[in-house]
Amino acid sequence: MADPVLALGALSADWRYVFGNVDYLLGGLWVTVGLTVASLLVGFVAGLPAAVVEVYGGRYSSALVRNVGVVLRGTPIVVIIMLAYFAFGISPAFLAATAALGFRSGAYQTQIFRGAIESVDGGQMEAARAVGLSKTQAVRHVVLPQALRRSVPGFQNEVTIVLKDTSIAFAIGLAELFTKSADLYQSIGHTTATFELIVFISAIYFALTFVTNRSLEALNDAVAIPGGKGR
Amino acid sequence: MSDDPLVRVDDLHKRYGDEEVLKGISFEMDRQDVQVLVGPSGSGKSTLLRCVNRLTEFQGGEITLDGTPVTEMDVDDLRRQVGMVFQDFNLFAHLTAKENIMLGPRRVLGKTEEEAAERALDELDRVGLAAQADSYPAELSGGQKQRVGIARALAMDPKLMLFDEPTSALDPELIGEVVEVMEDLAEGGMTMLVVTHEMGFARAAATDIMFLDQGRIVEHGPPERLFENPEHERTAQFLERLTRLHGETR
Repeated sequence: MADPVLALGALSADWRYVFGNVDYLLGGLWVTVGLTVASLLVGFVAGLPAAVVEVYGGRYSSALVRNVGVVLRGTPIVVIIMLAYFAFGISPAFLAATAALGFRSGAYQTQIFRGAIESVDGGQMEAARAVGLSKTQAVRHVVLPQALRRSVPGFQNEVTIVLKDTSIAFAIGLAELFTKSADLYQSIGHTTATFELIVFISAIYFALTFVTNRSLEALNDAVAIPGGKGR
Repeated sequence: MSDDPLVRVDDLHKRYGDEEVLKGISFEMDRQDVQVLVGPSGSGKSTLLRCVNRLTEFQGGEITLDGTPVTEMDVDDLRRQVGMVFQDFNLFAHLTAKENIMLGPRRVLGKTEEEAAERALDELDRVGLAAQADSYPAELSGGQKQRVGIARALAMDPKLMLFDEPTSALDPELIGEVVEVMEDLAEGGMTMLVVTHEMGFARAAATDIMFLDQGRIVEHGPPERLFENPEHERTAQFLERLTRLHGETR
């Protein structure tokens, strides 16, 4: 019974089709993981400075950042990704998807970091300035180390959202996990396997978000300030 | 140069919008003076303190430190020379006691990690907290936090120390340990400008006491005179009330 071929034989034809194409689907899984990591990185690199500008910048620079954020957060991701690929002609598709998901995530990460920065007591900045640190030094050495720690739970949320939203790259035909499953259930003679394929990749998405959440919870504990809150 | 007063405040005016909170304050401090500021809340004492290191800007008059108007100094350079201790401690929450003290010397004075660490341990020793060097603020009592706050300011070798109600956020039984450190500092010759309600400290350590009300100096003089023989009835009443509330904490 331990023989995998025998075990497969006990399954329906549609499930056998799914398991027979695991390697093909896993190829898409790596694209999904790569796209998630790249998009989050773009979002972090754009979002953290944007948050600093939104909180500490001058009137015009913070208004600019705020307005770009409003537009990005107010546009459906499928529209952003289509614009990136077809209108702006970013190519290959992986790059277009990274730009679209990355900048949209940047807009949301800006809000995560902004909230965290604003939650740091104003006395921290004042004390840092009082010892002679410049504003930039105070942000870097006093405010951000505390704000970043407080951003982990919000960031955890953002990671799972970006991970699941990579499936939108289906719209521009990028061969990530969801697109690959669609390739399989749309091929002639296999449309009956649609349900099985969707269930299978959903389980993969779930496993990924589960592992990510647990890892980030561990990170949150690891960076917690001993003794909890306190000035 | 060193015969000049260390701090000269001349006709200082400060407004928040339409409300004038300091209405022409003038006084001088020599080196090693301990100037205690008292007054009802809203009298402008904390604001006056914050004008000295320019945590807040003022609109009229002049403050000089060692002969130079503070408004003409680079603000970070000014704060390098003027230490400040806060009512709410404001210790950097993500850093240990030692690291709190090291940050200024490292980033502002450009000291090496080793130099800064050595100095931090010396300062912690001076305030009696050598054993707490690796504790985080949340692991310290209020009195310990404030002593770290004082050590943090001292590590910058300030010419002048500002204390903004350093014991007001403390439980009564923790006030003594902080006042003791401040008295040691005063005895050691530190120039201090102190907003406090601790009349025990004022009697023991103050060169002068200044009574502020509604943005003006009501009375200014050595503690003996203000306590025993004040010119104004208001001064007598206020000091008596403070002494009753905050006089004998040890």
